[in-house]
Amino acid sequence: MRQLSGTLGVGLLFGFGLSRIGFSSWDEVHRMFVFADLRLFLSFMAAVILLVPATLLWKRFLPGRVRFGPRPVHNGTLLGGALFGAGWALSGACPSIALVQLGEGQFGALLTLAGIVAGNWLCAVMQQRYLRWDPGSCAGE
Amino acid sequence: MHYLSFWQSGLVLAAIPVLHWIWLRRGLGVSGRYTALIDRVRTSAVPEADVEMSEADLVAALRAATVEAFGEDALEDPVAEAVALAEPTVRSAERPLVHLLFFVGLCAGGLLSAWLRADLAPTLGLRSELFPRVFGHSPLVSSLVLIFGGALVGFGTRISGGCTSGHGLCGVSQFQKGSWLATMAFFGTGVATSFALRALL
Repeated sequence: MRQLSGTLGVGLLFGFGLSRIGFSSWDEVHRMFVFADLRLFLSFMAAVILLVPATLLWKRFLPGRVRFGPRPVHNGTLLGGALFGAGWALSGACPSIALVQLGEGQFGALLTLAGIVAGNWLCAVMQQRYLRWDPGSCAGE
Repeated sequence: MHYLSFWQSGLVLAAIPVLHWIWLRRGLGVSGRYTALIDRVRTSAVPEADVEMSEADLVAALRAATVEAFGEDALEDPVAEAVALAEPTVRSAERPLVHLLFFVGLCAGGLLSAWLRADLAPTLGLRSELFPRVFGHSPLVSSLVLIFGGALVGFGTRISGGCTSGHGLCGVSQFQKGSWLATMAFFGTGVATSFALRALL
């Protein structure tokens, strides 16, 4: 029950926050990427800077409660990151944003979502048949 | 449109992973949830066409062999066990519905946000001034851009093992080398691609 309510709750807060920050706007994301407006970049950097002590404190006082990493460099790291960045700039969406856009009534995000599912699926098939890299996954952490 | 300032946004973006740890006892990672859900569907519904034995066949054969060797009593839950053994890429211990619930939450958050600021004007495309100026007004072209862009996002986040949340927020703040590389890569190509798009304006 705690897991169900927590999952829904965190998802809802995350979606609401991303929407109010402006990450779900294609225009805002584009302005970030061409350095026309640094607000989103700075938001991201501020969050990372805040998360450094938060992580250290968590590890110090609640060790073992959450498994962090490891996230080493592997065959797919650079290629995957590069492809994702290009896709983000084109569609204006990262995996969570496509869902936030959909909730906001931007139904074009359904196409983005279809693309994400297809791309993830294709990657799984290619991994299984040809590549057999181990990219790890955030799901297990 | 009025958005949060950068420091308010930074606080929100930092609070979400921490809430995720407190409430769910696991790191935040959205692309991993897609992967877990998709693997769940893949392994349960789609037999691989040209592998020698599909998963369903394998399970059936294992079941038959087990019955032959040990009798019916030996069959406790061979299906779940065989699937778990056959699919090591499913690392999530969570049930798939939980991931779907997170996605529902994201949608609901977007809906609530738009509704509360009286900005709920559904559109078939994206609510954007620049997108049609870059790609034109053809629904076909716009659709292809979104599908292709989405496919790059899906493929890229899976092969690199994370997205903006898992690599970008969490991995970078934990000084994980893979996350630093992936994050520099996706911001790098995001910038490059967007400058190329701006040239189309």
